[in-house]
Amino acid sequence: MRSGALALAGATLGARMLGASPIATGPGDDDVPDAVKALLKARFGARTIRNAHVSLDLPEVAPDAREVPIFIETDLPMEERQYVKTLHLIVDHNPDIYLAGFHYTPAMGAASIDTRIKLRRSTHVRAIAEMNSGELFGVTKFVYTTLNGCV
Amino acid sequence: MSVAIGDPRVLLPAQITKDAVIYVRALITHPMATGLARDADGHPIKPHFINDVVIRYGEADVAHFTWTSGISKDPYIAFPLRATREAPLTITWKDNEGGVFHQTVDVRFSA
Repeated sequence: MRSGALALAGATLGARMLGASPIATGPGDDDVPDAVKALLKARFGARTIRNAHVSLDLPEVAPDAREVPIFIETDLPMEERQYVKTLHLIVDHNPDIYLAGFHYTPAMGAASIDTRIKLRRSTHVRAIAEMNSGELFGVTKFVYTTLNGCV
Repeated sequence: MSVAIGDPRVLLPAQITKDAVIYVRALITHPMATGLARDADGHPIKPHFINDVVIRYGEADVAHFTWTSGISKDPYIAFPLRATREAPLTITWKDNEGGVFHQTVDVRFSA
């Protein structure tokens, strides 16, 4: 019994370390809603989202859910050969899960965006950078908020 | 009640050197209504939000953003741009009701 549970835990850990889960992009991120899974599958198919190169600057507690400052930054190259095609912004528990897509070209010189968003309730926020080659890098953060900001 | 819409503002750094990555800041007045809220009389407020932003530098579209109503009221953006040449920079915002707003600024290198 115990060895079985241990083997199971080992398998889960192994799967995560190998990046076999295409969705989980951070610790404590096991309960991905079905709608988000469906959206990621529709947009990215079976491609793996690696947890690297993207940083998401977001308050841990948002006092006003109508205006939550968000800053997505990457250290990925922006050259003709290799560049960030799109920064995707996904909010698990908003009416529109896919909040925004920021499409870039190498002429930008860097890939980052600073803006303000609305949140309906405490939720995971996911930033995913899609390279021109199709590679995906992402990061997820949890934000606590109290009042519905989706007005 | 009518809400003021438009008044786009684009701000470039005061000092720009050739080939440096600058950060462009832009702000526009827009309600970004989701369609989920109601007014004081209980009538639903219809959705009215910017869903497309295009950034044009010289003769090329360098970026375009697709938005939903999840972006906050009076949207603010700050994005990078490599200042490779002296050329006009135009940002165009389009909303779901056909409204189009644009603002042009000139990228000029400091002496």
